Amino acid sequence: MFTRMSYALRETWVSFRRNITLTGAAVVTSAVSLLLVGSTFLIQSAFDNLLTRWKGDVELIVYVRSDADATQVDVIRGALESQPSIIDVSKLRYLNQAESYAEAEKLFAGDPGTLRLLTPENIPSQFKVVPISQDSNLIRELGEQFRNIPGVREVAYAQDVFDVVARVSQFIRVATTVMSIVLLVVAVGLIWNTVRTAMFARRREIEVMKLVGATNWFIRIPFMLEGLLQGVIGGVLSCLGLWGLNTAWSGAVADFNDTELAALVVTDGYMRFVMVILLLIGAIAGAVGSGIAASRFLDV
Amino acid sequence: MIRLDNVTKTYGSEAPAVRDASFEIAKGEFIFMVGPSGSGKSTLLRLINRQEQPERGAVWVAGQNINEIAESKVPYLRRNLGNIFQDYKLLLNKTVSENVAFALEVIGRPKHVIAQQVPAVLDLVGLADKGDRFPHQLSGGEQQRVSIARAFVNRPLILLADEPTGNLDPATGEGIMRLLERINATGTTVVMATHDQRIVNMMRRRVVQLDRGVIVRDQERGVYD
Repeated sequence: MFTRMSYALRETWVSFRRNITLTGAAVVTSAVSLLLVGSTFLIQSAFDNLLTRWKGDVELIVYVRSDADATQVDVIRGALESQPSIIDVSKLRYLNQAESYAEAEKLFAGDPGTLRLLTPENIPSQFKVVPISQDSNLIRELGEQFRNIPGVREVAYAQDVFDVVARVSQFIRVATTVMSIVLLVVAVGLIWNTVRTAMFARRREIEVMKLVGATNWFIRIPFMLEGLLQGVIGGVLSCLGLWGLNTAWSGAVADFNDTELAALVVTDGYMRFVMVILLLIGAIAGAVGSGIAASRFLDV
Repeated sequence: MIRLDNVTKTYGSEAPAVRDASFEIAKGEFIFMVGPSGSGKSTLLRLINRQEQPERGAVWVAGQNINEIAESKVPYLRRNLGNIFQDYKLLLNKTVSENVAFALEVIGRPKHVIAQQVPAVLDLVGLADKGDRFPHQLSGGEQQRVSIARAFVNRPLILLADEPTGNLDPATGEGIMRLLERINATGTTVVMATHDQRIVNMMRRRVVQLDRGVIVRDQERGVYD
């Protein structure tokens, strides 16, 4: 067993170095494609944070002062429910302070300074309003009426953020997904080709191995390890790149900490999760690509 | 040890390379397959080590119908068969010892077994002092001895030799034949494809003659023709 292991590792390493140009191309391509995959994840998550309070077609949010009493909340609710021609009463949702705080944790993920000032006691609770009417002026008119009701802290309109952000996020999402898929296919193709070249360079050895009775797995494994190694190195590089990008981005966004942009960041936990995913994709793509190539070209 | 029952093998749409061939080779026998180039000698050897599969008929090796064994069992069949070729098929970037050791290494033999068997077999083929040389530093005859050492180091039941003297001068070829005779004397069955008349006539062993894929003669202690 030990002989076999050391054989496989030695052969992997020798072959890995011999094809350094092709190997480099395969590694870089997989790194770039995985970096794009990772960016897609992060961008998606960041936009989800930004848009989280507008989820579910919410167009209007009425924030209630943290010191408002139950009667005032009921008055606001009553006023909203009395407009069934403009708003969808069945979808009207009230988030109490604890729920609002949970939401804020996402919203201000990139702005820990603001988050630290908030507590479940001082945060405003909120009514999330889903309109029936498509007329944005009507919604705005309605919203303005609420500004003067006692207990209302602020009124916010989805339209102000949503239109631009949603369109941008949708575009980026589609573009990065398409590019990362294309590049991933290219990366698998390059790994496949590297393995094929490696096998062609060693066809004499493979022929001898088959004649003296080496099993197909024994012949295949060094090549599969080579592909796996390329995928994993690509994955590691992409993780480093993504980490660098995210750090730079978070730093830049922090300067806008009183705007909506501050929500466009991801938590460290999510970052780690994405890195693990990238390594896994790299490893699987490498092993599968090279495994298929090794099986195809074993009959040289 | 080896038996062919009505074996036919065709490559693509050409005339059959081997047609309806039947014969049996006993354990420990030394047998020549003779005939001109393209008569089907090599195909017969390739059928015996299952590099080829026949369209019709069955090939039996060591009591097994090798056309019915699973693909995954083929390597284990091959461990009982040694192969020698006209062009030696040595690995040029490995030394003599490494070439021979390679055959044991890739079937997972432990290091101490390799360390013991490689020098022993190099001694048998008369290359005890050349283990550190590379193939290009050896003569043709010496290279063929290395390939015989590699084929024999695992003590196979059968040795398949495809024109082993084809690239060698007569005296060197004779030396190779003496070596194959010695290996045969240890009980290993030797099947050799050749069109080297002089050697066949000199050895006086069983001769199976092929003509365009058909066995036209099977003779004990035969000559070339």
